[in-house]
Amino acid sequence: MFQDAAMALQALLEPMRLLALFAGMMVGLVFGMLPGLGGVAAVSILLPFIYLFDSYAGLAMLLGAVSVVYTSDTITSVLLGAPGSPASAPTAIEGHAMAKQGQASRALGVGFLASMVGGLIGAVVLFLAIPVAGPIVLMLGTPELLMFALVGLFFASSMVGKDLKKGLAAAALGIFLGVIGPASAAADIRFTFDQPWLLDGVSLTIMALGLFGIAEAISMLAIGGGIAGEKMVLGPRSDGVRDFFAHKWLILRSSIIGVFGGFVPAVGASASTWVAYGHAMRSTKDKSKFGKGEIRGVAAAEGANNATVIADLVPTLLFSVPGGPAAAIFLGALFSFGYYPGPRMVSQNPDLMYLIVWSVALASVAGAAICFFITPYIAKLTRIPFAIIAAPLLLIMVLGAQKSTGTMGDLYLLFGLGLLGWMMKYADWPRAPVLVGFVLAKPMEQYFWLSNQLHGWSWLMRPGVLIIASIILIPLLLSAWRAWRGRGLPTALAEGGETGEITTEAAAVPEPGHVTIISTLLALIATIAFGYAMWEMQGFNSTSQLLPGLAIYPGFVLSALLLIQGVRSLRGASWGSFDEHRFLPVLLIYPVAIWAIGYHLPTIALLAWMLLVCAKMRWLSAAIYGGVVFAVMLGMYRLMRADMPGGEIITLF
Amino acid sequence: MDRLKLTTALIGATFAGLAALPAIAQDGYFAGMDIEVVVPFAPGGATYVSAKFLEPFFERHLPGNPTVTVVDRPGGGSIIGANWFEENANADGSTVLFTTSSSSNPYVLGQPEVNYDLAAYRVAYSHPFGSVIFASPDLGVSNVTELAATDTPLIYGGISAAASDLPAVLSFEVLDLPITSVMGFSGRGPTLLAFQRGETNIEAQFTPVYMTQVVPMVAEGTAVPLYTGGSIGADGMLSERDAVAPDLPSVYEAHVMLHGAPPSGIEWDAFQAIATSTYAFGLTGYLHPEAPDEAIAAFAEGIAAMNADPEFIEGRREITGGAPLMAGADIEGNVRAALQPSDEVRAYLRDLLAERFNIRF
Repeated sequence: MFQDAAMALQALLEPMRLLALFAGMMVGLVFGMLPGLGGVAAVSILLPFIYLFDSYAGLAMLLGAVSVVYTSDTITSVLLGAPGSPASAPTAIEGHAMAKQGQASRALGVGFLASMVGGLIGAVVLFLAIPVAGPIVLMLGTPELLMFALVGLFFASSMVGKDLKKGLAAAALGIFLGVIGPASAAADIRFTFDQPWLLDGVSLTIMALGLFGIAEAISMLAIGGGIAGEKMVLGPRSDGVRDFFAHKWLILRSSIIGVFGGFVPAVGASASTWVAYGHAMRSTKDKSKFGKGEIRGVAAAEGANNATVIADLVPTLLFSVPGGPAAAIFLGALFSFGYYPGPRMVSQNPDLMYLIVWSVALASVAGAAICFFITPYIAKLTRIPFAIIAAPLLLIMVLGAQKSTGTMGDLYLLFGLGLLGWMMKYADWPRAPVLVGFVLAKPMEQYFWLSNQLHGWSWLMRPGVLIIASIILIPLLLSAWRAWRGRGLPTALAEGGETGEITTEAAAVPEPGHVTIISTLLALIATIAFGYAMWEMQGFNSTSQLLPGLAIYPGFVLSALLLIQGVRSLRGASWGSFDEHRFLPVLLIYPVAIWAIGYHLPTIALLAWMLLVCAKMRWLSAAIYGGVVFAVMLGMYRLMRADMPGGEIITLF
Repeated sequence: MDRLKLTTALIGATFAGLAALPAIAQDGYFAGMDIEVVVPFAPGGATYVSAKFLEPFFERHLPGNPTVTVVDRPGGGSIIGANWFEENANADGSTVLFTTSSSSNPYVLGQPEVNYDLAAYRVAYSHPFGSVIFASPDLGVSNVTELAATDTPLIYGGISAAASDLPAVLSFEVLDLPITSVMGFSGRGPTLLAFQRGETNIEAQFTPVYMTQVVPMVAEGTAVPLYTGGSIGADGMLSERDAVAPDLPSVYEAHVMLHGAPPSGIEWDAFQAIATSTYAFGLTGYLHPEAPDEAIAAFAEGIAAMNADPEFIEGRREITGGAPLMAGADIEGNVRAALQPSDEVRAYLRDLLAERFNIRF
């Protein structure tokens, strides 16, 4: 085993292969930073080039890209608040809040180091897994997978936030969005309005971009030409290293959570990232800083997502079952080089297996080092007026969304969810539960249905199920016991498990007017959506109603309550000095214009509006900068073979 | 794409220049052309792997030596990519839709999201995508006759009864095997895992996975092969054995073994229609409905040369199970016939899916 590993390292250290690994890493780093374009985009764009090399170098190239995407996405998430990839949404929440407080360096340092550790743990697991992981993966039957999803939901319950109604309504909304598309239990196609682009449901990329990215871009446009005192203070780098060591155990635990996420096929990096984030919340005594810049949130999320993407390779290599979308493309590359993964490959191609481990480990370390090195330069970009950054950012997000189905539907979803994300941001509805509900909805439904079909109810007594269930039950029982023992001591109650988050804030400041207005509007929209969903779901088979029902009925009640509460407090609420909503019409005009006359003219008009009106650039510089941005975008569409839908009425240009 | 090309050229980007490097003048229908092969699945799947395998051989052997590019357009279980093809294919035959029963079965059943008219398309080439049904050794059976007699509950894991699982489900009907089909898995990889974990005990896999993953399992004794879908014989029926596993009986033979007579009736007609498009012409390259006969002939000519290329013969074993690539006017007739079954068969399929799997269109 060690001899094979040493030989594999020697094979990888050939200059051509190192060059390929490095080139792959560079592409991965860039794509990680571009919101919406993550590992899948990086790997698909590299795919034609791997055949220029020998099989080892070609595969190293892909692995280089896969290993660093979740490292560099930290930069975008922290500095701009738009998640570099869906799995770094928690980093966008916590890290960006820290950046606004002048602690970007801490967040980035911890993020990079945690990513590196996650990657290394993934590599170690892969190394150890090669001989032993087969039986472990086979032990995890469908009921165990269901239990993992429930553990994820349990951890996520910490994210509901201080307003229980809003948090639960948000979670219900997430599950509702997550069940769009074909049901796993019976042949019902839910809430798709016969639109082909909804046949696979809403893409996770578009969810993350819409909920977080678009809202941030709007805020950046609203800040406009000035840097508005937002000059990015990075803070000393050593802080990040110190924080990393302070939270090393949390990062280690999160990486292990990430590894398990990778073992389970079809549970992506996003799900395990949220589980790790929930774990960070549960294991932190003082939860008040979550959502407002908590370093532990960044540490957990970044440790987990990198570990998952690498552990994804375990089922890929042992069973030919890709652990995630990027791993699926890697699998295709293996096939095309004539390697057929499976238990046989371990004995037939041990050098290849260990080459994969080394590639991943080297790329994880080098990727983190490069990120450290480039951060000061990238941070300088944030001294540019925000509206100037927002222009290319918005267009890249549109391109990222377009990679989902290549139809107009991607744009409707991106901007529709963008509006939702923006409203939630200013209505104080937490966005994390939406994404968690979204990523867990389908696996929960599928595994529940399959468990019952394959095992009847006897699955409840399987030893694996009981062991995993204890992860949920033991903390619940402990906190119940503590609460019982501490009767009469309200402080103890406030600390105990489930109820810990819902501390009453006696000295609450009255809500600003715009929060009331937006929250009421949002509650109205949610009530209508849930109401419609209740009506449509009556036509489904009963098995396809179960999970949506668990979200839609409570969601309707909660949003109706929030609506009533909002309408009551609406009197006297005014927008005050808040004016960001004036920027919202662009969310409607831009996609409709593309639908009508194609991509080019509306995009040029949008660029002109963003640069001249929002950023107040001068004509000449706006024309040069805008021209370059537009040309680069067209080049990227071509390079990525992305479709440009639209032009239904007339195609201009 | 034309708009895009034009604009890019106007701006002076270099991409277009690179793509338009002067092609060396060649004779033949496809001289100087770029063929785009659209695969409506994600890269990494069996269809994509087969398309990538064929790519260099097409470039080498098609008359005129065109450049061939495989493009993936995944989504909606292939419906999104096929819908895209309906709207965007070139009429000169330079756009190919390379797809499977995941496109044809929803078409035959009339799923509302289907916007493509598959039976109107020209057929450029096709190769079989055989399927082997196998059982868990825990059942203690060694062939289909013993399987029919077992008392252990039989569970088959599938994705969706209306897509690529349909012929397997129909074969259980033809053979009258008491198998419970549990649909809802997310792919054939996960169903194989569930089989290995012992959660299901009947499983089916298509040629490439069978050759690379299941054959070693059979050798280890962790899988017992039962029967294949069969291949088209001289009588035009699926009565011959499949080249993928020549030792195994076809569904036709299995019926003779179990019931003492060749299969007949509506179940058999339905199985024939669906299995022909799923197995016998499992991976098919379609062209625009108005693609000229010259394009079809050019594919036939190139494919005849490919089937004689020793390198191709060597490589196709793991992709097609050794079967040659088919082309020409007669396969077009076969494919179109399979895509337009009688109203009786359609009604039977709809009833079966509605009754067993609650699928209504």
